[in-house]
Amino acid sequence: MSTETVSGPVRPAAATGTRSMGREALILLVFSAIVLSMPFWLPLLGGYEGLATKIMVWAIFAVGFDILLGFTGLLSFGHAAFFGGAAYVTGYVFRDHTSEIIVAFIASQLGVLVLAAAIGFLSLRRTGIYFSILTLAFAEMMFAAALAIFAPFTGGYDGLTMRTTPTLFGMPMQGLYVFYMGAIMLIFGFAVARMIKNSAFGLMLRSIKENPMRLQYTGVNVWAYKMAAFMISAHFAGVAGFLMVVYEPYVATKFLHWSTSGEVVIMSVIGGVGTLFGPIIGAGFLMYFENVVQAAIGEQWKLVLGLVFVLVVIFLPGGFVQLGAMIWRATGHKVRERRHNVPDMEPDTQRERNLG
Amino acid sequence: MDPNALFLQLLTGLQLGAIYALIALGLTLIFGTLGFVNFAHGALYVIAIYAAVTVAANTNFLLAIILVPALLFAIGVAFERGLIRHFYTRPHTDQILITFGLAIVVEELMKWIFGANNIPFTLPEWGSGLMVFYSDWSAVPAVPVFQEAPSLWVPFIEGFVTYQFWRVVLIAVSLVTVAGLFALLQFTRFGLVVRAGMRDPEMLRFLGINIAQKFAIVVGLGAAIAGIAGVFGGPITQVTPGVGMALLVPSFLVVVIGGMGSLSGALIAAILIGMALSFSAEIANLQQIVVYLIAVVVLLVRPRGLFGKKGVFE
Amino acid sequence: MKFTKRNASRRQVLKGGAAVAGALATPHFFVKNAWAQGECATLGNFPVEGPEVVFGFSVPKTGAYADEGADELRAQELAVEHINNGGGILNTLQPLSLTGQGVLGKKVTYVSGDDQTNPDATRQVARRMIERDGVIMFNGGSSSATAVAAQSLAQELGVVFMNGLTHANETTGKDRRRYGFRQFFNTHMTGLALGPVLAENYGTDRAAFHLTADYNWGHSMSGSIKDATEGEGWSTINRVSTPLGATDYSQFLTAFLNSDADVLVLNHYGNDMVNSVTQAVQFGVRDMQKNGRQVELVVPLYSRLMAQGAGDNIEGVFGTTNWNWSLDNPGAKAFVDSFTDKYGFPPSQAAHTCYVQVILYADACERAGTFYAPEVIRALEGHEYEGDGYNSASLYRAEDHQSFHDVFLVRGKSASERASEFDLLQIVSEVPRSTVEYPVDTFEGELGDYCPTA
Repeated sequence: MSTETVSGPVRPAAATGTRSMGREALILLVFSAIVLSMPFWLPLLGGYEGLATKIMVWAIFAVGFDILLGFTGLLSFGHAAFFGGAAYVTGYVFRDHTSEIIVAFIASQLGVLVLAAAIGFLSLRRTGIYFSILTLAFAEMMFAAALAIFAPFTGGYDGLTMRTTPTLFGMPMQGLYVFYMGAIMLIFGFAVARMIKNSAFGLMLRSIKENPMRLQYTGVNVWAYKMAAFMISAHFAGVAGFLMVVYEPYVATKFLHWSTSGEVVIMSVIGGVGTLFGPIIGAGFLMYFENVVQAAIGEQWKLVLGLVFVLVVIFLPGGFVQLGAMIWRATGHKVRERRHNVPDMEPDTQRERNLG
Repeated sequence: MDPNALFLQLLTGLQLGAIYALIALGLTLIFGTLGFVNFAHGALYVIAIYAAVTVAANTNFLLAIILVPALLFAIGVAFERGLIRHFYTRPHTDQILITFGLAIVVEELMKWIFGANNIPFTLPEWGSGLMVFYSDWSAVPAVPVFQEAPSLWVPFIEGFVTYQFWRVVLIAVSLVTVAGLFALLQFTRFGLVVRAGMRDPEMLRFLGINIAQKFAIVVGLGAAIAGIAGVFGGPITQVTPGVGMALLVPSFLVVVIGGMGSLSGALIAAILIGMALSFSAEIANLQQIVVYLIAVVVLLVRPRGLFGKKGVFE
Repeated sequence: MKFTKRNASRRQVLKGGAAVAGALATPHFFVKNAWAQGECATLGNFPVEGPEVVFGFSVPKTGAYADEGADELRAQELAVEHINNGGGILNTLQPLSLTGQGVLGKKVTYVSGDDQTNPDATRQVARRMIERDGVIMFNGGSSSATAVAAQSLAQELGVVFMNGLTHANETTGKDRRRYGFRQFFNTHMTGLALGPVLAENYGTDRAAFHLTADYNWGHSMSGSIKDATEGEGWSTINRVSTPLGATDYSQFLTAFLNSDADVLVLNHYGNDMVNSVTQAVQFGVRDMQKNGRQVELVVPLYSRLMAQGAGDNIEGVFGTTNWNWSLDNPGAKAFVDSFTDKYGFPPSQAAHTCYVQVILYADACERAGTFYAPEVIRALEGHEYEGDGYNSASLYRAEDHQSFHDVFLVRGKSASERASEFDLLQIVSEVPRSTVEYPVDTFEGELGDYCPTA
């Protein structure tokens, strides 16, 4: 297939892959520097070591989520299934088998592979709102099952507690080591996501977001592309879930709860969907808000967060990234025009028809 | 299974289904006409129970029955005119996000105002106590708690059984509400337009009918039903800020199982789920996932839900 | 199928790899430098620097146990006040090394957080208090699920956790930890105390039906009651799990009504118990006869706060409690008086256990002469003390960190028996420590090292 079939809003330049390598490398370098130095600058803002690690966990989650929501326009309310599923697999490995994180990593990703294939296959039969509700239903089913029939394995509401310190080739992984492991995973994940964004595959995803009908008619297997995006983002969620357990040797059933899915939705939207940077900023913002700002606001912090979210959805569909661009422009700089980043499928029911 | 046990479980199933039905009807009504997924529908229910408990505690329960649905209708209309309206031209996902955000805000707001704990919802004098179902009145013990209770003759059962009266009231109110809604849609011009809109909003627009005007009323109607659910269901689901989200997910499933936009589908799915919850109560492991199991099985067999029609909102 | 994925430029991958390699080479120059003296390489927030020492209080401020949490926090604030300025059980606790001028010459301050009665949130809050606020000890909680999570974290990070209200056997059984201590009693002790009384009052051939909150405490409670009542000759018809925080129990109550059981055991606590008891009464359970006998309710673990919520519905219902404010001994009086002076109403059992725990920890530091956790732990292990609100002495067993003391059999008072709105529970009997003491090998478990280990 060629790029010619896609017209209009997608900027051809983004898809040619001829974009300056230097620019990509610079972006990655700056990004790496900011992430890796986090333990130095975060405490200046009232953060602490554990918070930095948690930001890594959620940032990985959010980057993967952006591949699905931002690139492909699919809003999943069930990504907790992959986050929590991977966390449980990691937990078993640590508790019953070995403390070696390589083993746990492979096992958890295999688990996510199976899970994502099953949920993706069933949920992607439908689009739009159905997809959101179906993913929500599957994740909630896993949550309920973890509390009920799988309770002997999951520890039910008590969660799963391990007594091992995870090791990497025999070296115990704790504290800052976990942070650096997470940071490297995030940088790697970010690089992969950038690559997808600039690839023909990424272009296809965005075309699907723009107009799945047209692609369908040109003979593209839209479903396969969606499935691929779904699987990739599920693996990001799985890596985040795995890292969460390496960071804290404990698996909570809450990892499977819809509020975990909700959280990643909130951070993506607040940060700026489709920009990769946005969700990462959103993840940092949300974690910082939950753990540091919370203390200043008190009991009503969730209310404030909800209001921020609502205001962003109404007035700032491009999230903080859009806000940044607006400020940048207001101070007399030039900004590349960017179509706003929320999925661009029009709510025209006619369009989705016959797609089932 | 002995007939009395069966009868009690059927009652419990109906009563559990009744609340799901009331919430799911509003959801599916709004979705069917506006194509709008209202993640804030649980929040409307939360507003209703807090309004109901406040009115009932300070004045009179009967006043709450009148005031709360009216209040919710007004909130629904304001919600549509003030907010949803601006989202018709935005992507579906934005609609989900804004209502999801609103749901959080309402829940936290209620938590702030009323606290995170249950507020006791005292039943009115006329609604408290037991109800006696009997086939043979002579079997009912001659003590006031049974003799003075409301009673109903039922065939097939042995002797008598008792059930909490309020839950019977809830079942009755739900039936009346559902019947009223169906009548409204079936026999009025407004209903005709709404039903046509659920079928094919595109065509209505081509015919020059201004469905937008009707939209506010539809949302108001959906909210008012949540209001009725709140007044009568509040004493049973408890008055806590989290109850909205707790009810929303199963109600969504009811809508999906019944078929998006299908009113009778939602009703049947709600009863189905209520019964499943009631009859699986002793199998604890199964009980907590039975709702999801049903949803998965139904969707695997009939991806559009039990009564979903081909081509409608897909 | 057109599933063309153009080769993502190989050079791009290489560039990414280089950046990662560069990152790996970054020297790790901020591995924590709190190398503590003594046996452990690193240890929580020891040593304590500056004129103040910080305690952390993680309590449920939202959720089913929010009332308990609020009362715990009141008691914890009071404990800090007493440690800094004297008063309360500092006047009655024996032996005592605290002087009422802080701990080891340092003034005590505190931070608090909401554990949401959720193990995940508990760990988050605790970690924040430990890593950011530098707490030397943390205390609180109203659930065994959070208690077990908090104890594990305490062991990992080397910060002592003094349990709040946690009643499951696991806390000092299977999941016991060197860094966790529990003053509260457990479900096994409840069973030992309650079994004989139930048999005596309701007969020895009853059939019980359990509704059980679906987490470690509920199952522990249900198991202990099953063992204790079956030991008295009862049978157990069914044990049905209900989700924690459930609000509508109708389907479960219907199952009870349809069964052959004539006793309903509600293994619920907090709001869950208020809801289940209220709804059981609304369903007419207490007006009912089955097998020719009056149907009875049992609520194994009682608290005054729950009794307040359940009102008249618990009249005559048996249960147990760790402590009650109506006890008549110097320690109880000292605590109740100062609490009532400050807040205007008497404390709950949750408040009592937290209050005592905070003061016992402070006293152990003073006795050990250091905040160094292994020494403080040794000072608490096997410690026998009195004047903490009980009529006789209590013991912190060294092998499982369970405190043993008298427990109380209570029954709900009727409206006419109450002297005040807080006078809801009548103490039927004081069950002496010797009755509820059980061999340490009743439950298997490992305390773990004196140095932090995951």
